[in-house]
Amino acid sequence: MSAREDEIRRVVAELDIQVAEVEASLAALKALLAEDEVPNEEDPA
Amino acid sequence: MRALTDVTGENLRQWRESQGWDVPRMARELRKAARDSGEDVAAHHGLVRMIPQWERGNRVPRERYRLLYRQIFGSGLGDLSQGMALGADVALRLAEVRSRAARLPDPDQIRALEAAALAKPRKTMTPAEIRALAAAAIGHLHEVAGKLGELSALLGEDQS
Repeated sequence: MSAREDEIRRVVAELDIQVAEVEASLAALKALLAEDEVPNEEDPA
Repeated sequence: MRALTDVTGENLRQWRESQGWDVPRMARELRKAARDSGEDVAAHHGLVRMIPQWERGNRVPRERYRLLYRQIFGSGLGDLSQGMALGADVALRLAEVRSRAARLPDPDQIRALEAAALAKPRKTMTPAEIRALAAAAIGHLHEVAGKLGELSALLGEDQS
């Protein structure tokens, strides 16, 4: 395997981690917003 | 490209996602490839059910489906890896991660989500935590842009 390919593998792995971080933060923000759509179960009937 | 006997369900998912295709699109592509080669395959809704099972590894696709996958992705992955002078596995991984990066929102869209999340009190997160989460997401987005630029430079792509 060439040094260039090694370097590309390394950057792709780092990119993967950064993309996953953004995806996780987005999922957390969207989950918060999804709370708005769930009826409040603690409300008295 | 590897023989399809050593391809995992995860590979099938990565191949599909490297094209930005959802499962129904994958089903349509399989049916199109089958038509082109005169093969008889399951109906669209049957494929939509089977593809996730193959990708999760719950079931193994039969030979005729493995051949269709090779027909769809074989030449494309070969072209991709040859064009970049890379091994097919690196080219595939690169295409998959780039495809995910391309689907990320821009910083303004994250700020809009942050504002919507801050618009009401939340049970699970304080406003400071929400702000920190959005700031971290934007920070990682900048890192993504930097890494994409680094890759383009390594691949000798024109960034103008």
